[in-house]
Amino acid sequence: MLQNNAASRGSGKVRYGRLVWEFEAKPTPLSRTYRLRIEYQEGSVPKVVVVDPDLRQLADGRILPHVYEQHPTQLCLYFPKTGEWSSGKLIATSIVPWAYLWLFYFEEWLISNEWKGGGEHPKMNNDNERKTNSND
Amino acid sequence: MKIETKNTNQIGTQPDFAKKIDVMRLLGYVCQELDLTESQVESAQSSYEAVGRWLSESETPEIRSAVIYPQGSIALGTANRPIRGNEFDVDLVCHLLAIPATADPVIVKRLVGDRLRENERYRGMLEEKQRCWRLNYAGQYHLDITPSIVNPRCSNGGELVPDRMLSQWKATNPKGYCQWFAQHTSIRPQFTAAFAEARIRADVQPFPEPQEKKGMLRQAVQICKRHRDIYFSMHDQDFAPVSIIITTLVAKSYAHCATNGVYASELDLLIDVVRMMPTFIEVENRGGIRYYVVPNETTSGENFADKWNADPRLPAGFFEWHSVLSETLGEIESQSGLDVMGRTLSTGFGEAVVKPAIVQFANSVSSARSSGQLSIVPGIGLAASPTGVRVARNTFFGR
Repeated sequence: MLQNNAASRGSGKVRYGRLVWEFEAKPTPLSRTYRLRIEYQEGSVPKVVVVDPDLRQLADGRILPHVYEQHPTQLCLYFPKTGEWSSGKLIATSIVPWAYLWLFYFEEWLISNEWKGGGEHPKMNNDNERKTNSND
Repeated sequence: MKIETKNTNQIGTQPDFAKKIDVMRLLGYVCQELDLTESQVESAQSSYEAVGRWLSESETPEIRSAVIYPQGSIALGTANRPIRGNEFDVDLVCHLLAIPATADPVIVKRLVGDRLRENERYRGMLEEKQRCWRLNYAGQYHLDITPSIVNPRCSNGGELVPDRMLSQWKATNPKGYCQWFAQHTSIRPQFTAAFAEARIRADVQPFPEPQEKKGMLRQAVQICKRHRDIYFSMHDQDFAPVSIIITTLVAKSYAHCATNGVYASELDLLIDVVRMMPTFIEVENRGGIRYYVVPNETTSGENFADKWNADPRLPAGFFEWHSVLSETLGEIESQSGLDVMGRTLSTGFGEAVVKPAIVQFANSVSSARSSGQLSIVPGIGLAASPTGVRVARNTFFGR
């Protein structure tokens, strides 16, 4: 499915129920081309990482918005536990388009310093488990 | 002129229509930011019409028969918002039909001023300038009213205005120039079949383009003037080319390019129009010295570049500025990344108009997204299109 879709044409493999897929994405004709890697372990949730270029360099020291990790840059593309993503969904038609959108807003953020894509931030708790704690 | 073959020589490379179209779209948003609002223009218009009515009620017959009308950028449709402050210029002619060419410019100017001063409200707003009277509408605009009389020597309806020293009359033709310019804006450019096709394919026109009433010639003039303003804010303002020279050269270049060339895109046309501007400066050799002429084609005896021949720093200023502008436009197309292009455009045209233009650009994605029409289209990326992979609703999360 990923290979058939022009937006995510790339390469990768599936081994032991784990998919690793790399592809190039150019969000709009004016955008850069980014290299992305999706990792998906059956039973878990897809992880999307920007392999190239280094977004922190582009951001020139600013903290990247809407990421799980600054480096390697792992993108936050959906609100967990809301059904935006579920294992029934195809990565090619959900995660991949969201990655394009994220990268588009990222370039806009680079120049305006405001995230125009909307979104939510996790509530900060005493411990560090941000990923699962914030579904209020 | 070589445009069509230039692209087919690139073996295996199609011109990147999508990118060219998007760069023009971004420049279109910049032009929107440069525009005065409709209400600003209407307000200025009703103000100068009121001045006209005041003059027509004068007891002095020569003033009573005066006609006020706009000249310059307001008349041409090429006015830019001011960079600093709020007040924009409204250039007006106060044409006095009944006054002969033998009249003393000092007296004619005084006649107009006296009538304005008779109005209590105008008296408080009135400011005398070298050749005209200025009415200040504080915080909005100022009306610059230049007296003119009929030029009996011009068969083209030309006029005479006072020279700087108010010692004699010089030829000009505001109405004629306006018509001349309007004719140029109506020349339709020619594009390759490939571009024409690319434009109508839904997936290569990702978003509707900003309102396009003005036409490419006016937009090119606006872009050049704003670039000039930004450039000379960092260089000596005294050597900035005056708007009438820029406007005339852009118009001539546009006419030439639109008539003779077949272009692969609007962006290519714009780049060529700018590039060719200097070729329309006439250079004569007068006893071994360069003599520059940018003639007003609507009346004889007016050389817009006459001051260039008194100070070589003026033509130098023009050529230096022009090469920076050409470079900027050429650079944009080869860059990647909205942020990179945004920075180049900001350097050239000022953040004040480029940042909001980028916001508009991003809004086209955001509104398609919120109305559920955003897709990823092969070869283009994000587009408001029924084809391609729909972008489902999502909420960005994280930090």
